[in-house]
Amino acid sequence: MTASVPPKVDQDESREPSFPIVFVTDLLKAFVKAMRAHQLYLANNPMHARSLEAVKQAFSALWAHTDTLELQVVETQLKWEGRVVLDEGERTSENLAWLFYKDGIRELTFLEGFENDDLSDLFDLMQRVRRATVDDDDLLTLMWEREFSALRYKYVDLLVEAGPGIESIERSEQKEKILSPAEAEAGAADNSPVTQIGDFDSALYFLDDTEVEYLQTEIQHEFSRDVRPAVIASLLDTFETQKDPTVREEICGLLDYFLLILLSTAQYRNAAYLLREASITSNRAPDILEPQKQRLTQLGELMSDPKPLGQLLQALEDTPLRAPQTELDELFAILQPAALETVLGWISRSNNTELRMLLELAATRLASANSAELIRLIGSDDEAVVMQAIRRAAALKTPAAVPALGKMLTVGEPEMRVAAVTALTDIGSPGAMQMLERAIIDEDREVRIVAVRALGARSARSALPRIEAAIKGKDLRESNLTEKMAFFEAYGLLAGDAGISLLDSLLHSKGFMGKRDDSEIRACAAMALGKIGSPKAMDSLTRAASEKDVIVRNAVSRAIRRAPA
Amino acid sequence: MSGTRAVANEGWGGEGKSGSGVRRSGRNFMIAFHGALRSIKLYPLEHSAVQKSLSELAQIAEEMRAEEGDLEFRVAGEFIFINSTRLRLDLSNYATFGHILSLCKSAGIGAIHVGPHGGARDWSLLLSLMGGEAKVGPAERLAQINSRLSEAKIDLFQLDPPMETESDQQFNEESRAAANRTYSQGVAVTKDVINSVRIGKTPSIRKIKRVVQGIVDQVLNEETSLISLTALRDYDEYTFTHSVNVCIFSVALGRRLGMTKLQMYELGLAALMHDIGKSRVPLDMLQKKGQLTDDEWKWMASHPWLGVLVLFQFRRQQEELSYRAMTVCHEHHMKIDLTGYPKTVRPRQMSVLSKIVTITDGYDAATSRRTYQTEGLTPAAVLEEMRDNPRRGLDPVLVKAFINLLGIYPVGTLVVLDTFELAVVSSTNPSPEALSRPIIKIISDPRGNIISPPLVVDLAVPEAGGNFKRTIIKTADPDRYGITVSDYLT
Repeated sequence: MTASVPPKVDQDESREPSFPIVFVTDLLKAFVKAMRAHQLYLANNPMHARSLEAVKQAFSALWAHTDTLELQVVETQLKWEGRVVLDEGERTSENLAWLFYKDGIRELTFLEGFENDDLSDLFDLMQRVRRATVDDDDLLTLMWEREFSALRYKYVDLLVEAGPGIESIERSEQKEKILSPAEAEAGAADNSPVTQIGDFDSALYFLDDTEVEYLQTEIQHEFSRDVRPAVIASLLDTFETQKDPTVREEICGLLDYFLLILLSTAQYRNAAYLLREASITSNRAPDILEPQKQRLTQLGELMSDPKPLGQLLQALEDTPLRAPQTELDELFAILQPAALETVLGWISRSNNTELRMLLELAATRLASANSAELIRLIGSDDEAVVMQAIRRAAALKTPAAVPALGKMLTVGEPEMRVAAVTALTDIGSPGAMQMLERAIIDEDREVRIVAVRALGARSARSALPRIEAAIKGKDLRESNLTEKMAFFEAYGLLAGDAGISLLDSLLHSKGFMGKRDDSEIRACAAMALGKIGSPKAMDSLTRAASEKDVIVRNAVSRAIRRAPA
Repeated sequence: MSGTRAVANEGWGGEGKSGSGVRRSGRNFMIAFHGALRSIKLYPLEHSAVQKSLSELAQIAEEMRAEEGDLEFRVAGEFIFINSTRLRLDLSNYATFGHILSLCKSAGIGAIHVGPHGGARDWSLLLSLMGGEAKVGPAERLAQINSRLSEAKIDLFQLDPPMETESDQQFNEESRAAANRTYSQGVAVTKDVINSVRIGKTPSIRKIKRVVQGIVDQVLNEETSLISLTALRDYDEYTFTHSVNVCIFSVALGRRLGMTKLQMYELGLAALMHDIGKSRVPLDMLQKKGQLTDDEWKWMASHPWLGVLVLFQFRRQQEELSYRAMTVCHEHHMKIDLTGYPKTVRPRQMSVLSKIVTITDGYDAATSRRTYQTEGLTPAAVLEEMRDNPRRGLDPVLVKAFINLLGIYPVGTLVVLDTFELAVVSSTNPSPEALSRPIIKIISDPRGNIISPPLVVDLAVPEAGGNFKRTIIKTADPDRYGITVSDYLT
């Protein structure tokens, strides 16, 4: 291979170099060093930046003597004006000269400005080639595609073998004379099927400005548009128009593969399009076999399965979503009920605000369309999912969720029971209220508070006996002020004037040995009277306005102030 | 690999930026030159529009001189060089370039050296003389122009007659050799690809890319040699030469439409692979003589969508292989209203690349001999049909641009001259005004005596007196004369 293009180097060796060789050798040393740094360090690493700077300086020094640097690539060596200026020995991917030589590049010409315009790109390509597999592009192909502005190269094409050659096309026997055109055309002109000159008017073939503009717009449009949807449409159109099961089977396989490619390259809108259209095809393709219909349907289901969806969400978690957000909207819009559990789980876990917002939207859509799945998820083993499912049920005010929420009140952790109580409150149906009444006696104080407040606010009079019992009972007296207040206020709201007698006695009456009741209980009774707000209740409060106990007095004046007019 | 082949495959990559600067300013110079010519033709000399355009031209010329140290404008064949840098022809400038080329030809001018400190007066006289009516032949006109300039004491310009310099000759020879090499590599790789797919092997995409890169380079460098090879029509290798021809025509048309190098590359890849689906059509159907049965036709008509499936196999090897190539495979038998085949179900917007390949594919197929079409139609007849028959469903503007590329008499057309000499069109004239006056090789005299070697004549060059010595009166059927056109094209 080497012998095929004899290096034109030795003959020049005796000549004086155009300028001191050290400028070239120094440059190449810096070049190799920077190439290694490019290989080892990220672009923001100081080593990387320093090595690039060194090459740039070496080029600057060189440009003081010349405006082009021409190097011959001779296997493992680089030569300049017949002299070896770089020899790294072994034929390895670490050898700069060999990297070029093995792909056919035999001469490199660097022009002034290369270090600014092209250097990093060349390093990128060399790095890519170093890691390339046998099927990947070689350096020559990549350099062609890159269109360097200040680097020229001469190459020998090692990859493409020439064909038999044009010369091999058989020539017909050389004649000395043929039919006389003068005679032939005189006889046949009128009947000749061939084109007469008058058929064309050359003036027609100027493209006018509108036509030029049309073509330029078409080209611009073509190269700025994404053609993947057209490819998806090609595959699915073919599926619908070709009934051969073998063809359809092949297309199913390609769609599986294509979907993965689209997802892994963040082509979410196209992935959504593929899934949507595959679903349409599964219903529309004539004579479709059941297994193939299932394969198409499963594409959509696959995306909603916990593992693939989890992979997608994992990939999105660490990515800023600004660019593909609208594309994600489309993808999430086609998720199926099976996706709800994964989506709900990720809402709690995600630290990516944008992703969480998208998931919230998707969850709301999925939950509202699939209440059965939502209800199922209230009983999930995954606490994060349960919490989100309860929240969705609350937001959607789904009465069908009441039994599941009720069950949660008996089996869930306190935090979940609180959430369930809140959800039941939001649902607000009679059934939900009944469930809430049970929560009044929940073992967790927070649950009881939320429940009793909700019952009061919702005027759930059926809960009055239980609340009254609590007020009269001992347990409440041992609880904290917040719970007491919640119960008393709820009592006031539900009992109305009928509760004044009890509350008045708690506020005013002296108990055993003339001792008044607990200050907190009295204060709570005052607040409850305030909630009733009737003249009779106000009368009771007014009588306590000069109470000596500061806690009670403050509660009384607050209740009077806040009482309904 | 043998030494000879390696040398034969040598090439240059990378354009370098020095040429691009000259090209840019050279284009501006040409536009100003053309603008001044037009305004002189439309208005009296003293008109402000004329004076303005002349001043602009003088200023641009002066700036170029200052930047480059010299300003030489030279025409050679279909090319225009400014200070030895060839200007590139595209959609935005082909009419301008073509007009200037034909003016130079008829004025007998091969090169204009522009001296320093030129003004509007200098340019106004030169352009008036060049744009004047040609009453004498080119050589005589050049002498007249030189004499008039001398009388007016204008020594800004040195006008040289056209001559083929040693470097021009070398350039032409190298171009022809490179074109032959590129073409035969293209055929070999296409054959390898199609045959590989047929036996279930995955072909090398790198080779496909390299072939298309070679075609793009060749079209950018000198397209005529490559386009002339498309007229060879090797009957036995039709499937493979057809793909290469379609690739060449498409890339050349893409260039004419102003596509960038990388856009031409994408178009070329798509065009070379447009029939890859045929690798899954049974060979006996591809080679069947006579009419196809309905079932066989269904197979044949399946090759566009089969092509998409085949290209997906390629993608497993290399991710970057263009989705555009798949689109072109799928759409290249569709009409612009999306009828044709395969049938579309979903709305789609036909790619402009598919529209191009539809035209180039149709043209090459119709003008070729194949197993089921033992006589190809004449290029002119095919172009006429493409232009006039809307049922073909081709994009009319692209057809127009394609005719513009090939000329009314495309390379390889056998023509009868008004002298009753018989000639083969060897290359088109770049000027849209000279579409009917290509460069030809006269192969026989009116009595049918073969002229060997053929006489090369540019039909756009008038003789003394301003008349044309020869004009095409009609195209002719090579079989009628027992002529193999390709014998005269290599």
